[in-house]
Amino acid sequence: MAKPKIASDWLAGCAGCHMSLLDIDERIVKVAELTDLRATPITDLKEPDESGVDVGILEGGINNTYNEEVAHRMRNRCGLLVALGDCAVFGGVPAMRNFFTLEETLRRAYVETESTEPNSAVPSDPELAKPTEVRALQDVVPVDIYVPGCPPSPEVIFHVLSELAQGRRPEIKGDLLDWH
Amino acid sequence: MVNLTIDGKNIEVKEGTTVLRAAQSAGIEIPTLCDHPELTPYGGCRLCLVEVEGARTLQPSCTLPVSEKMVVKTTTDRVKEARKFVLTLLFSERNHFCPFCQESGGDCELQNAAYQEGMTNWPLSPNFNTFGVDASGPYFVLDNNRCILCRRCVRACGELVGNFTWGFEERGAKSYLVADYGVPIGESSCVSCGTCVQVCPTGAIIDRQSAYRGRDAQVTKVPSVCTGCSIGCAINIVVKDNQIVRIEGRWGEGVSDGILCKSGRFLPLEEKRERILTPMVRKNGSLKAATMEEAVAAIATAIKSAGSGVAALASTKLSVESLSLFKQIFSDGLKSSMVTTIEEGAMTSASASFTDSLKKSFESKIDSMNSADCVVVVNTDLYKEHQVLGFMVKRILPSGTKLIVIDSDENGFDPFADVKVKAGKGSNVDILDALQSAVKKQKVTDEAAKCGVKEADLVNAASIISSAEHPVFIYSDKLSAKDGQKAVSALIDLAGSVKNSAIINTKGKANSLAASQLKLDKPFEAGKHQAYFVAIGDDEPTEGLLTDLEKAPFLAVSAAYHTKLTARADVVIPVEMWAEISGHFISMDGHLQKTSKSLTAPEGVFSDVDALKALASALGVKTNDNWKEAIKSRVSPVEIVEA
Repeated sequence: MAKPKIASDWLAGCAGCHMSLLDIDERIVKVAELTDLRATPITDLKEPDESGVDVGILEGGINNTYNEEVAHRMRNRCGLLVALGDCAVFGGVPAMRNFFTLEETLRRAYVETESTEPNSAVPSDPELAKPTEVRALQDVVPVDIYVPGCPPSPEVIFHVLSELAQGRRPEIKGDLLDWH
Repeated sequence: MVNLTIDGKNIEVKEGTTVLRAAQSAGIEIPTLCDHPELTPYGGCRLCLVEVEGARTLQPSCTLPVSEKMVVKTTTDRVKEARKFVLTLLFSERNHFCPFCQESGGDCELQNAAYQEGMTNWPLSPNFNTFGVDASGPYFVLDNNRCILCRRCVRACGELVGNFTWGFEERGAKSYLVADYGVPIGESSCVSCGTCVQVCPTGAIIDRQSAYRGRDAQVTKVPSVCTGCSIGCAINIVVKDNQIVRIEGRWGEGVSDGILCKSGRFLPLEEKRERILTPMVRKNGSLKAATMEEAVAAIATAIKSAGSGVAALASTKLSVESLSLFKQIFSDGLKSSMVTTIEEGAMTSASASFTDSLKKSFESKIDSMNSADCVVVVNTDLYKEHQVLGFMVKRILPSGTKLIVIDSDENGFDPFADVKVKAGKGSNVDILDALQSAVKKQKVTDEAAKCGVKEADLVNAASIISSAEHPVFIYSDKLSAKDGQKAVSALIDLAGSVKNSAIINTKGKANSLAASQLKLDKPFEAGKHQAYFVAIGDDEPTEGLLTDLEKAPFLAVSAAYHTKLTARADVVIPVEMWAEISGHFISMDGHLQKTSKSLTAPEGVFSDVDALKALASALGVKTNDNWKEAIKSRVSPVEIVEA
């Protein structure tokens, strides 16, 4: 059996889930042996192979049009899609802003913040992605496996990776099920 | 009895039992959210749905009474699907994001329920509607965004506390919790008993004092008894790192079945007084740190030279063990003429001396409230003091229980009273006698005039009392302030003139009755004693006591905290505060209960028992630990039973 190809990326998150992935410590060597780690935000290759990967892992929710693009690309190129962490699963902490309007949050962030320069404005460069309300990954693309946690503990992540590496669909239950 | 089958198990339960309770009695767990053992079933959350053979739809087990030969299944795929769907809808309705909620991580019943069903995601994403947050209350914050509309708080406030502060506004998913008619909690009729905080299954009602200070898995819960007043409610002292995180009621246990008041639940965590950490002896006009031996020797020397000219006072918040030792040293050993408590028997002496003459108990247990259809409150304001007893009165009013308030002063229960008897003049004896005449259907025009009471009030009160099946009379010894035991005797005559009556005396602090049983109940006369000893524990001295002791030639105090009293003392011994003590207390209705030590006292601080024993040995007084015998040396106004 060929090693399963795994790619990951991060969206509207804090990178904490990927940090937790690194916290599996020396076990990462085992994961690297058993799988073919392709594009990740912490390796050189940034986009999943056009020819496709077996598993796509996404951290973070969807909070702008660029996130949507990344999510769609990953979905199109992967077999199983894993939503990693509370933001990808539920929307998480960034989703707190949904309790306000987009205008309110942007004004607060770019105009009213104590540290902003006078006469500053909400960036409007056409090259920038358009902000949207924060959504869970499942609201943009179909998700196959949910791994909640803020962040999921290294034990949970190792369990998921090791199951995937061995061609099984990971089940998150018992002590491993923890949304934080 | 009814026979039914749940998950293939044959179960026999009493008629009227719900399917949920029947399942629980057989050890079958059905997940619930709106259900609470102390509250009436509501059927609001639908998490407890079960399959009943022959029923077209799934049935809520919490409101479904059992019936003969019923066959119930709690683990079928249909039931499991329904549970997941119920949780899915609950999560979609409001802000149930766990990472920013203090209940998350074991304490949230909603999160736990989702874990139990193995939910790794919310199939329906939340709708992000916003609701108000009310942080105007002193002890808890209401966040409607975390509410699941289970209405446990509403039911607890009404059914258990009788306060009816909580209610819901709007309908369906737009429903939100409000205090009274939509006023901020801080301005509402809320009495801050915190029962709603304890029953809330999610993070919708958050305890300000304990939020983020430790989850259930990280704390120790020490079962104990509240010593805030003489009711003696069953509590759990929630402790982490030798600090009290929170105080909870123990459901279904003790006198109050788990209900507490503000004084029991929240006030103990507001202790601001400075702790005394070392014995102190006055040298050259100021108190200096000393060893325990020096302090005890200084007290012994002063007391020996004072002979019987020593006066001793104890707090009624001390354990029976300590009070007994205190009595043995000063009354029995030193034969001092003035040995009493700082309560001076004011809340017990009249009923005690009446009991002495009656030679039998005449007061009832608090649980007589359960069958009361008429409550007569005499000279005690249960809105302010002994609040939990007040809750027990207020919560039975909606079922038709009549309330009569006899109090010359304004009483917090006036607004709920069917009849208020307000004396303009005349003594309590006169009013109670007049009421008794009215109960006997005698004309009371003259007596009413003599007391300055409306004749109609007396007649109405009398007709309510005499037509009641189980009237309960609740009084405090303030009743006897003017007329001594004559007033108690008048009340007993009144109660005795109607059938099935019960009498409850609220008494004073936690060990008021124990002090009375040890005859530590005479009025304090400062007089011309040479030495004064005050075992005040963690109690606070009254202004009267401070004035009385102003000119004391020698004053020794054993105390937990620095107070005005310790400031003027010649010798101070540091003792433990309530949570550090393991000792016995006798509640107002005679329950002998033991408190548990939940905190370790700071080093150099002594238990009252150890401090008194050290003093006894320095004075050459022999003591024993037979306090159980000592409290039986006198017939108690209410039968004393070991809880």
